[in-house]
Amino acid sequence: MPPSPVFLPAPSIGAPPAPRVPRPERYTLSNGLRVVAARMGEIPQVVLRLAISAGSAAEPRDRPGTAALVGHLLTEGTELHTAQELNARVDYLGALLHANVGHDYAEAEAVLLHETLEEGIHLLAEIVTRPSFPDAEVERIRNESLDALVAREDEPGNVADDRVSLEVFGADHPYGRPYFGTAEGIAGVTRDELVEFHARHYRPAGAYLVAAGDFEPGALREMLEAAFAGWAGEGPAVEYPAEVGDTPEAAGRLVVFPWEAAAQSEIRIAGRGIDRRSPDWVRGAVANYILGGSTITGRLGANLREEKGWTYGANSAFSAGVARGGWTAHTAVDVEVTADAVEEMLREMRRMAEEPVDEAELRRARDAMVLSLPRAFETPGQVASRLGTLEAYGLPHDYWDRYPAAVQAVTAEDVRRIASERFHPDRVVRVVVGDGVA
Amino acid sequence: MQDTHDAPFRIESRTQVLRNGMRIVAHEDRTAPLVAVHLMYRVGSRDERPGRTGLAHLLEHLMFEGSQHAPKGDFDDLLERVGGTNNGSTWLDRTNYYETVPSHAVELPLWLERDRMAFFLPTLNEETLEVQRGVVINERRQSFENRPYGMADERLHELLFPGGHPYSWPTIGYTRDLDAMTLEDARTFYSTYYTAGNAVLVFAGDIAAEDAFALAERYFGDLPSGPVLPDPARSDALPSVGVRETMEDAVSFPRTYRAWAVPGYGTRDWVALDVLAYLLADGESSRLQRALVREGQLAQDVDTYLYPTALCGIFGIVSTARSGVDVDTVDAAIRHVLDSVARGDVGEDEVLGAVRRVRRDHVGQLATVEERADALAYAATVLGDAEALNRVSALYDEITAEDVERVAAQYLDESRGVTLLVLPDEAEEVQDAA
Repeated sequence: MPPSPVFLPAPSIGAPPAPRVPRPERYTLSNGLRVVAARMGEIPQVVLRLAISAGSAAEPRDRPGTAALVGHLLTEGTELHTAQELNARVDYLGALLHANVGHDYAEAEAVLLHETLEEGIHLLAEIVTRPSFPDAEVERIRNESLDALVAREDEPGNVADDRVSLEVFGADHPYGRPYFGTAEGIAGVTRDELVEFHARHYRPAGAYLVAAGDFEPGALREMLEAAFAGWAGEGPAVEYPAEVGDTPEAAGRLVVFPWEAAAQSEIRIAGRGIDRRSPDWVRGAVANYILGGSTITGRLGANLREEKGWTYGANSAFSAGVARGGWTAHTAVDVEVTADAVEEMLREMRRMAEEPVDEAELRRARDAMVLSLPRAFETPGQVASRLGTLEAYGLPHDYWDRYPAAVQAVTAEDVRRIASERFHPDRVVRVVVGDGVA
Repeated sequence: MQDTHDAPFRIESRTQVLRNGMRIVAHEDRTAPLVAVHLMYRVGSRDERPGRTGLAHLLEHLMFEGSQHAPKGDFDDLLERVGGTNNGSTWLDRTNYYETVPSHAVELPLWLERDRMAFFLPTLNEETLEVQRGVVINERRQSFENRPYGMADERLHELLFPGGHPYSWPTIGYTRDLDAMTLEDARTFYSTYYTAGNAVLVFAGDIAAEDAFALAERYFGDLPSGPVLPDPARSDALPSVGVRETMEDAVSFPRTYRAWAVPGYGTRDWVALDVLAYLLADGESSRLQRALVREGQLAQDVDTYLYPTALCGIFGIVSTARSGVDVDTVDAAIRHVLDSVARGDVGEDEVLGAVRRVRRDHVGQLATVEERADALAYAATVLGDAEALNRVSALYDEITAEDVERVAAQYLDESRGVTLLVLPDEAEEVQDAA
């Protein structure tokens, strides 16, 4: 028998490494397209994201789904290539080329191996600037999208998400409506309307492109100038409703959506959030981190998962938007404890609104947020996201440099105030999708 | 035209073995001030016995409930304070525990892992077992039971691996087995498998190999080796069944699942099958996307997968029917595409494109030190050494159209696989897409 292992004292931890935030190049192409380019030489990959204010907030109110369909159809044929030719070329290059459409932006993304950068950039420019919307592809994508809507509703979590957005923002706000449209809108929109939406909104002035990865900066700029040379103009500004109030009209309500034979209840508790540009955003992030930012140590997870064993996880998050977004806490629990789980969540939320957090808990949250920053800038995709955030919401270029100090300045009183404004049970809506919930 | 491609992306590493048999792998990358620490035990759900399925995964949950010098809550708390993250996961062949920390704090995860490798049993108790049993049963509900098509994989594996094969039961476990699990089950499993001699420890990131080896010696060098474990039964005869079954679920559209047992991870045929998986369904121009979705307009989606598992690989094809399309029509179209590949009409350009798409995903998947550490640990655990990761990666360049055609004919035959059709139950059939 070897001797029993001895106890070793816990290691003392030295000073943390200084954060290294990328210093991208910023320039504007001759057609007005803003470019942010961060070179990272470690892996042979380049991520390019071109974002345009052509999300669902920009679509005609009577044609929900227009923006999503246009995004989907960018890769379905151009003036130069049929969909088949385009797909064959993209797949031969081993590239990823697609568009994601949200409420605020349509974002075309290319993920390229270093060796295929030049052709990949030309293909990205081609799909964004010269899609041809072939009739056959429009009809196929329309039908696929209609089936996808039906399949989406098979999942109780999706039903809960969609319903809570409606309850928080209402049908008159773009964030209250699904960014992927409705069956009626998708079935009704014409090809001409899609072409018109693209022609109107997909313009370089006002759009931005973020590049991150393994490229030579001078060569990248030349490639971008060449690829986007024929593109010009400026899209219209998207109109958002005037500033909404702090409290949803349905605040205090419980909306129950029965789901026969559900194995769990999906619970959402949600309210209005914080403007992404406000100094309160960072304070809210700290408050949210303590409540539900971390599955195990957040108060919601510690209570519902670690103490009670009712759920696999309970979390919460603020959502960012060009207009003020929302705040949502979410979990899925044993059907039998649904009502108790809602009560426990509200209790944790009220406790944060009424009692100051202790300094140790606050310090842990701030340190975790600041010291984990290097992990947020590790890959080309992550760097593109962090830099894209600054462009999308009009934040200052030194935002990430100043972020650690901003987080460390958050006080217990800041956290209590934000919690009382955002998490208090009187200011939120409750949605439950499940079985046997009274 | 760009008809060449760069050399495979290599992950360089060095390996040392401690006296107790624990293998230490170091991969240096100074790009970000981060170190990933990854501890992988060679134990998974395959090492369970019928009646106690889900034990490996339940034990993984219990491992986060505290050890003698780091009581419940400390593990996450201490790591969060230094800006670190941590998690664990359980699969068929391995269980892993991993932390990513800013490089100044690299000793913290080592100290914590040492504590739960050497001082875990004294803190294991009925109360934490009960709570984590509830968490895992809810994980099973959330991830499988309450998801459309969520129970299909479980049934597929039961059909594909008859006769108590260790891949026949789900890693999450059956609810009745989770209900029956005792503290003694957890203790025995832990004592058998959670030992230095059964572990691989990988450091990836902002640390020199020599420093990594010295730290490993300091935190793990004195721990006992543990019992010598036999190699898992790896049979050359692959399960071969030829079964077709239907099941109902609360879904709006029927879906077909096909699966085959194929050679294990890292073999040349496994690599050829991986290229085949990409050639069939990755990318809009791939064969199944064209035949089923784009041109055939029979299916909403189609996907292929290949598990990098040790005893054998598992090759799967999944496709959801469009509204108004009979699922048998979808299934027949899949068979037709497989037959055309097996008959030999694959072009070398098609293979080159598929290999590039594999490389694109490899590069993307290996972009973080956390994922690199995982890949190195997996190669060391399943293939015997970390450097095997680069050997497998290099094999992709050797794959020809003929290889792809041969493996399709040899392994994806109708008589060898399982087909599972998931049909909408009665409540859903009245729905219409329009």
